[in-house]
This record gives sequence, structure tokens and C-alpha cells, in this order.
Amino acid sequence: MDFDFSDEQYLLRDALRNLLARECTPQHVRAMWDDPTGRSPQRWRRLAEMGVLGLCLPESAGAFGGDEVDMVLLLEEAGRHVLPEPLLEHAALAAPVLARAGSSAQQSQWLPRLAAGDAIATVGLSAQRYVPDAGTADVVVLEAGGDLHLLTPDRLTLEPVRSVDGARRLFRVTAETGPETLLPGGREALPWLTDHAAAGTAAVLVGIAAALLDRTLDYVKVREQFGKRIGAFQAVQHKLAETWVLLEMARGAVYYAAYALANALPDAGVAVSVAKAAAGDAQHRANQEALQLHGGIGFTWEHDLHLWLKRGKALEPAYGDADHHRRRIADHIYATAG
Amino acid sequence: MDFQLSPEDAAFRDEVRSWLGDHRDQIEATRALDWEAGGEAFERYRDWERELHKAGLAGAAWPVEYGGRGASLVQQAILTDEYVRADAPARINRLGLGLLGPTLMVHGTQAQRERHLARILNCDEIWCQGFSEPNAGSDLAALRTRALRDGDEFVINGQKIWTSLGRFGDWIFTLVRTDPDAPRHGGISFVLIDMHSPGVEVRPLVQINGDARFAEVFFTDVRVPAGNVVGEVNGGWKVAMTALGFERGTGLGSPAAFNRMLEATVDITRREPRNGGVAADDPDVRRRVAQAYIDTRLFELSTQRTLTRLGKGQTLGPEASLTKLWWSEMEARIAELAIDVLGPRGELLPGSRDAEGEWFNEYLYARAAMIYAGTSEIQKNILAQRVLGLPRE
Repeated sequence: MDFDFSDEQYLLRDALRNLLARECTPQHVRAMWDDPTGRSPQRWRRLAEMGVLGLCLPESAGAFGGDEVDMVLLLEEAGRHVLPEPLLEHAALAAPVLARAGSSAQQSQWLPRLAAGDAIATVGLSAQRYVPDAGTADVVVLEAGGDLHLLTPDRLTLEPVRSVDGARRLFRVTAETGPETLLPGGREALPWLTDHAAAGTAAVLVGIAAALLDRTLDYVKVREQFGKRIGAFQAVQHKLAETWVLLEMARGAVYYAAYALANALPDAGVAVSVAKAAAGDAQHRANQEALQLHGGIGFTWEHDLHLWLKRGKALEPAYGDADHHRRRIADHIYATAG
Repeated sequence: MDFQLSPEDAAFRDEVRSWLGDHRDQIEATRALDWEAGGEAFERYRDWERELHKAGLAGAAWPVEYGGRGASLVQQAILTDEYVRADAPARINRLGLGLLGPTLMVHGTQAQRERHLARILNCDEIWCQGFSEPNAGSDLAALRTRALRDGDEFVINGQKIWTSLGRFGDWIFTLVRTDPDAPRHGGISFVLIDMHSPGVEVRPLVQINGDARFAEVFFTDVRVPAGNVVGEVNGGWKVAMTALGFERGTGLGSPAAFNRMLEATVDITRREPRNGGVAADDPDVRRRVAQAYIDTRLFELSTQRTLTRLGKGQTLGPEASLTKLWWSEMEARIAELAIDVLGPRGELLPGSRDAEGEWFNEYLYARAAMIYAGTSEIQKNILAQRVLGLPRE
């Protein structure tokens, strides 16, 4: 038994972490809040060069041939750096579901471009109501009537809505679907896509929670009140210890969900729900304590904390909140013969 | 990342499973007895320990040179898992096998190892732990039991409390103050005391549920050879931390035990009436059951991550506090859920008409677990200061 990542997986994680530490700083993210598209083509290009955009596509598409276990650490980094670009939607959802459920014509038209980052893909699931990144995407995988459709911008009518997180770009989408836009294996692939969306979001949430915790630890180690660093107060220490425990526990669940999905294990569905519920709850706690322990400074627009606070709150309910996944777990438990 | 068992581990699991299956009769006969009644019942539990030892399963993880079979930590976890699934008897020498033995392997002298390890494996010596005192609980370094040097011996005076198996113990490993003038942690030694020595008195301690699983142990001018000090004289704190690391980390709290506990709780929810249906139909109950399932899965996965780290040669550091904090609080929550689902029956004494299981006892013992081996608050201090790097006051 080996519940750990390979050296290569850690190396790729570190490479992405270094790239984002340089090119996805809070200043860069703030610049996206004010940008008309909210997206940086330069940064997208760098992600493409690193090979992460086609990570989960087969080698036949000129890609890496990786799986969910390769991807999960990268999604965590995307959360840690509040990456504006749709790494999750493009690389972990739209591209691999197309490889799974698309016709050979659809695949040969799109997969090489998606792997190379020359085209941007996103997904819209009915339960989410809004489609992230539809404004900049070249192709959208959209759920409609229990099917999945592959849609180019000429078939879409977009109405932007505004998120509290200025780097999130959400759209109401009306689509002209038809037999020619259908993904042939879409109906079968829908549960796959739903599970991957929840699991991937859980990984992003773990990264956000880790960043919130790290920034808060840095702060309480220097902020002084009553003549000492506030991190020396037991009330503060216990909040942070409890947050760390939830985060570490959620990490294990998120990594296992990736493994279960990659190996199509029978317990993959319930593993995803455990991961999403645990990651959501860990992020919830980190979010709460981060703002509380930063005190007044964390409440200012100028302080960077709210970049993570808002992304975290935005993603907590995405692809099923913790209670949704608890319901799913309960249904699983009681569906098993007693 | 790979959750498949290796061929060797799978073979080990099969061996353990079939051995436990072959011993079903002895398991059931032993479990039917209450070892706390002492006498013959206790001896049957000792027989069971010896049966385990004959199969190389008593100290499976002990190195071969010390009489174990050198099972890996993964195999030890497999053994525990199978053991719990087989509903096999309580381990009466877990403190010797799990704490003192491994501690002697790290800090003991050759003579100490030769004297005790084989006798622990064969259950010839039942071991107790003598750390806590009435005024030294969370603040363990405040302990006051004194050991005065007298030639080749130490003379011990003082009192220990919360001693598990105290009534049955042959030996007790203790922390005693050998230098009252040294800084608090610096004047403590780790001393092995023969409980049959003159001056040792054991008094059962009746606890909150009426059981007497613990005892108080009094020492009055007890003479102990200087050779019974483990590690350096005045260097006992380090030895104690090694022992506590075993206790907090792998020694307690097996995932399989909590999975069983949850399954039993789910069974109750399927049967127990509520609102004209059964509890399992109630969305609030289902939500709590699901959360309990999440908690048990997180614990199991966390254990597997720890096993992987240990298997790669990393040591168990202060992160061990995570494990202990999690399982003890989870256990209490699951027991509370069962009690709540039982509703009016939740308060019934085990054995009473209408009573269901021992849920209230389980709840109380879970609460004990939140206190012993370092309270939840102490675990959080350790995590905050030693993992997160927050300043001590």
C-alpha cells in the first residue's frame, strides 16, 4: 500500500507552484478583476507549455496521458494561488469528457487544440445554473436534458452575471442544441462528469483552505496585542490547530477520491462525496478563522485576504454543497443491505 | 499511489484471517468471560495471549531479534483490522506489547530487554503504566513521586493514579522524580517497578460508570534496583515521550473498530421507531449518520497516509496528536448519535429490561479517551506549537 504521490507528481506540482508564485500573485489576480475578459492569455500559454492543459488527455492527442491522481495536486495549486483561468473546467472536465464521450470527429477536431491550449474549453452543468468562462471559451460542454452537447460560441447566447469574486466570470447561457452538437456518449458520461466536477472542486477548495491557513499563521506570528504575538494565545492556537486537522483530513479524502476515480473503483462515487463534504467543511472553517484572526485589517479591500475568502465561499456550494454530499452518502449507506 | 496490498501483505492477511477463523471457538469462549472479574476469567485471557504468541501474532510487529515476526506497520494494521472484524478478545497486555516493549527496544539496556521482552510476549508479565498522579495530569512534569538513591537501589515514595489493569499488574513502568532541584523536566527518571515488591499497594478506583478498570497505586519505601532505570537517570522525560508517541500514534484507535461502531449505529437507526417510521427515515438522523461515516473514512485514510510515511522510514512526530484527537472525539460523537437514536431507551443501564447494548458505557469511555493519553486540549497545543510553529507563551 502506498498512499503518496510519486516524485514525478511532486515535481510537476512544484513546477506549477513556482510558475504561479511568479505569474499568479495577488497583484496579478487583482489585475484580472479589472480586466474586461478576466483572463490572461500569457498565463494560459505558460500553462500550456507546462503540459498541464492536456494532462488528462491520451497520448494519441499529443498529450501527457495522465490521470486524476496526476491532476489533483495541480488543482490544489490552482486553489492555493486563486488562479483565474479555468484549469479545472478545461483540463480536468471538458477535455477528458470529450475524450471519453465525443465522436471521433469531435475528438480529432478539438483534442489536439485543447491539449496545446490553442482552444479553451469549459463546462456547464444544469445544477450550476451559470457557466464559468463561457465568454472566453472556444467550446462549451453543456448539459441539457440529460445529454451533453458540444457547443461553439456561434450557438450560444451569453448574458454575464457578476460574482463577488471579480476573477470569476459567470454567464447565463442559452444554447442552440441539435443532434449535430450531441456528444454520443454524453448521457453515460454525465455521472462521470458530475463526480469529477465535485472531486476537482474539492481539490481546489483544499488549496484555498491551505492558503487561508498559511496566511493566517504568518499573520498571527507577527501581529502583537497585549504585548505579545497573538499566535501565543491558546484561544488562537486551538482555532488554528482545529482548522489544520480538518484540512489534513480533507486532503486524505481528496487524494483518495482522485485515486478511486482514476481506477474506476466501486466506491468512487461515495469517495467523491466524502472528499467534497470534507473539503467544503475544511474550507468553511479556514475561511471563518482567517477573517476572524486577521481582525480589522482582513476586512479591508486593500488587504489580499478577500481574494481567497471570496473564491472559497463561491466554490463551497459548487457541484453540491457539503449537505448535498452528506445526503448522497446517507443514500449510499441505506441502499446497502442491512 | 496504490491501495492494493502487496502479495506478501495479502498472504499475511489471509494467514491471519484463517487463523482467527480456526480459533472461533476459543474466541467466543474467551469473550463470554469478563476478564475484569479476575481469577479464572483473567487466566483464560492470558491463555488467549499465549495462543496468539504461539502463532507469532502477539508481538507481530516486534523485530525478529526480540521474538516478534518483524511484521511491517502495514501488516500490523492488517492484523488489527482482522482482529477487530473477528470480534476477538480484549488484549490484556497491550501496555507491555504496545508501549513498554517498543520503548525498551529504543532506550532499554540489553539486560532489561533480556529480562522483560520474552516475558511480555508470553504474557508472563502483565504491565501497567504509572505516569499520572493526582496533581500531575495534563501537567505531567509536575509529578511528585520521589526516588531517592540508596546504594545500588532507589527508594520510591508516592502515588500514581488512573492505572489501567492495576489490579492485575505484575510490573509498572513509572515516571519518578530523581532530582527535585533540577528543572521540572530534567529531574525525572523512567523506572520499572515490580508490583509484587513490599510497599506497593493497589486500590481499585471505581469510576463514573461503576466499573473499576483503573486503580490507584501507592508506593511506600519501595526498593528498586538502580538497573531498573530505563535511559539516563534524570533523562526519563525523553523516554516517556517515546512511550507516549507509541500510545498516541499507532497504539490506540483502529479504524476497523470505529467502522464496526458506525455499522452498529446504522443498524439501530434501521430499527428504532421515530415519527411513525424508523430513525433511518429522518433526514436529520441521516445527516448525522453521513457525517459519522465521513469522520470514520477520514480517520481510516489518515491512518493509511501515516502508515505510508512510516513505511518510507519517516518517524511519527507531533502529527500523531492528530490521530488521537480525531478518533477520541469521533468515538464520542458516534456513541452520542446511537444514544440519541435510542431516545427514551438511551438512558437504560446495560442489562436492564429494554436496554440496547452498552452505548452509554461506550459514550463514557470515549469521554475518557478525550482525557487520557493527553487531553484534546493538550493535543491541540502540541499541534499548534510543534506542527504549526506558533509561539509558546
